[in-house]
This record gives sequence, C-alpha cells and structure tokens, in this order.
Amino acid sequence: MSYKIPMGPYHPALEEPYKLDMFCDGETVSDAKLHIGFNFRGIEHLAETRNYIQVIALMERVCGICSNIHTLTLCQAMEKLTGLTPPPRALYIRVVMAELERLHSHVLWAGIAAKLMGFKTMFMSCFALREKIMDVLQAISGNRVNYSMNCIGGVNRDITDPQAVLTGVEQLEREMVRTIIPIFTSSTTAQSRCAGIGVLSNEKAVSCGVVGPTARASGVAQDLRRAAPYAAYSDFEFNVPVESAGDVRARLRVRALEIMESCRILRQALTKMPPGEWNGGEKKLVFFTGTALSRVEAPRGEVVYSVSWKENSRNPARVHVRTPTFQNMPAIRWMVMGARLADTPLIQASIDPCYSCTDR
Amino acid sequence: MTKIEGIPQLLGTTETWVDEGGVHWLPASELHVRQVAAIMNEVHARFVTITAVELSGGQGFRLEYHWDLGGELLGFPFEVSGNSIESIYDLCEAVDWIEREVHEGFAVDFIGRECEPLLLRAGDRLGVNLHEVVQ
Repeated sequence: MSYKIPMGPYHPALEEPYKLDMFCDGETVSDAKLHIGFNFRGIEHLAETRNYIQVIALMERVCGICSNIHTLTLCQAMEKLTGLTPPPRALYIRVVMAELERLHSHVLWAGIAAKLMGFKTMFMSCFALREKIMDVLQAISGNRVNYSMNCIGGVNRDITDPQAVLTGVEQLEREMVRTIIPIFTSSTTAQSRCAGIGVLSNEKAVSCGVVGPTARASGVAQDLRRAAPYAAYSDFEFNVPVESAGDVRARLRVRALEIMESCRILRQALTKMPPGEWNGGEKKLVFFTGTALSRVEAPRGEVVYSVSWKENSRNPARVHVRTPTFQNMPAIRWMVMGARLADTPLIQASIDPCYSCTDR
Repeated sequence: MTKIEGIPQLLGTTETWVDEGGVHWLPASELHVRQVAAIMNEVHARFVTITAVELSGGQGFRLEYHWDLGGELLGFPFEVSGNSIESIYDLCEAVDWIEREVHEGFAVDFIGRECEPLLLRAGDRLGVNLHEVVQ
C-alpha cells in the first residue's frame, strides 16, 4: 500500500522548520519532496539597505552556528573591493576562529546525531564539550554566538595570549579523543546504526554539486582550505578526510576525523602566530566599482559571497549568499529513497542541515 | 595549455579570461548559457551558484553563472534584456534550487522548466521582484 507521510514543518525529529513529504510503500520510502522557506528573511535584499559596517553585523545573523564564517567570507569579498590586505596576525586569528567554530559545529552535530541514534548519554557529553568550546570562543571574542571578530582589513580583537588558548584547545582535544572520536569512528553500536543507510553515491554527489563533509563522505575530495587556500591556511599541514561509502557512517567518520584535523590546525596556528598588527586601523574605506566573490570552507561546506559595489556608495549594490545547506539539501531526496521510514530523521540530520542559512 | 585556458576555444569564442574580484570571467556576449553548461559538464567543473543582479534604468538583469574547476572560480555573465533565460536544469541538476530562488526573488523566468515555490510560501506572491519591493 502506498501513502504519503508529511514530516514537518514542526516535528519532534526536526530541529528546525522544513517539510519533507515522503511517499512510502509500506515501511520503505519510494520518493520524497522537500519544502523550505518557512522562515525566509530576505537578508540579501536587506543588505542593500545597510552600509559597509552595518552589513557585517547583518550577515553575521545569517547563521547562529557558523556566524563567524559569514562575516569572514563577506569581509574577504569587501577587501577585494577596497584593495585592503589584512596583516598576517589577523589571518592567523581568522583561522583560529574558523577552526574553533568548526569544532563547535561538528560537536553540536555529533550530539544531535547521537540523540537520533538513541545514544542520549553521548548527546549530553557532546553538549558539555560544546559548552567548553564556546567558553574558548568567548574568551577570545567576548561573545558566545555572534563573535563580531571580522572587520574589513583584519579582525576586531587580538588573541593576546595564544598559549592560554592552546592549553584550552589541548584539553578539549584530550576529552574528544577519549569520548566522541572512538564512539563515532569505531563503536560497534554507532557503526551498525549508521552503516548502509542514506547512501549518496559519488555520481549523485557530483551531479547535485554537494559540498563539505557530505561531499567528502561520498568520495568527492574537495575542501577549499586545500584547493583555494584563504586566510593563512596555506601555512598549515593538515589532511582532508575522505570516505567513499556515501552513507551516514561515512559522514559520521568524516566529521570525527575533521575534528582531529581542526585541532591539528589550531595547534599550528596558535604556536606560530606572527606578531604585529591585527587590523588596518580606523580609516574611511573607499570601494571600487565592481563585483568580488569570496569562498570559505564552512563546517558544512563551501560558503560563497558575491558582493557588488558602486563607487562612492556606502551600501552594497548586491550581496548574494550561497550557503552549503542550500546546495546539500536537495540531495536528501536521493538519500532517503529506498530507506526505511524510521531511518529518515537520522539520514536528514547526517548532512548537518542549517535552515537558518537556507532561509536567509 | 591548461584546462581553463582551453575553455574559450571549446566554447568557440576568441574572448579571453579577465581576472577580477577573485573570479576568472569570460565576458563573451555571443555565448549561450546552455552551451556553457554543456562545456562545463565536459570539463567536469562543479556548479557553484547563479547571482542575479538587476541593472539600473530598467535594463533587465545580469545573471552571473559560476563553476569551480580545480579550486578556480569561473564566471560567465549573461545579460537578460527581458525577464527570461533558458534553464540549464536538464544539463545540471545542481542548479535546481538556485534557478527557483532567482525566479522568486527577481521574477526571472527560466524557459524549459516549471519553478515550484521554494523560499516564499505564499503562492500568489511568487515571481515578484523582491529587489524592487525592498527598495
């Protein structure tokens, strides 16, 4: 017997509002259709009414988890339009913030995945760890969600004591190696719950143009930190974890291994941080007429900002944002096709969707 | 000749890449969007996004199509004098949502496909130029 099951926009298995209509044959999903737009905010259009200071604060609100990444990408684009080059120390601080945010995002996701697996103890452990990462972010920036770290030409705050941050990171790393990493890379319970479900083949991943850990779990070895290095990433050694199975387990493993690589990058950045200025100082900015694009590897994948400016204008003429979830979400249809209905909440969560970004 | 350098030749244009704002732009007015999409598939480029920009004085829109090739960002601008352009959805599955978003946000029609509601839930407002509404 065929029937349709609507999941969402408000549902216990969804963290944020979207809707997935699933067409089922018995317990098996034969097809699915996604609906988004329940919280569309029109931020891109609003950005055209804000000046170059206000627009940074506005775009930081696109996402509540990777807020720093949005201002980083926007500032990089605006630096291309003003000809400003941030000092080396600012580039290192940007890397530190970006990698701490990646840790925060991946650990948060691990907690939600654990909850959906029925592993509530791990959910609690992950959220306790996440708090500690947020403490480090707060110690650096003074804020826990919207950090206000990036400005055009550098960063707003220095890291005055990199060694203290490094001590905090190493403590976090030890805890993660003891708790999260073994669970998500080798625990029989987690592996068997996630193996073989929500498969996105390599061909489909390429065809859908998915990005980030979702792509890397399907054998697509793309990471902008390696392919098109920005900030100070070209100074660091790190691996890009890639898995070929394309299932939920592969996405789990990729993120767990990325946590370790983030710690590795943080250690290098905090140890080698160059001395000197961290921003270009107070001055009136002059924008060239033109369009600049900037891309950054956010925790969920590639974020793209296209910023257009007209000379002598205080406001951007256009700000376009392509978030990773916007590119990854359509692939959910292919992941849930053929899956058991009971697996679909975990499959959807496995792309680490962010509806706030999508409904920007 | 690198893969990127060979693309203008594959597209049959004598224009060359212009590097600006972090993008290799190919500003060739004779190019057709479906031809570009087919060549991007041929060279295994990854679709990134479409940015719609409304031109001043009611001159229509400029749609900037972007692909990634080995970490390099390629840009192809297309001037849309009316409010329609051919869809490339059948050639590139990854454009599905962004074509729908541009249709909703700027009232640009993509010929050859139906655009179902995406970001805006109220059906009667679909295809409204939000840019004008905000201004």
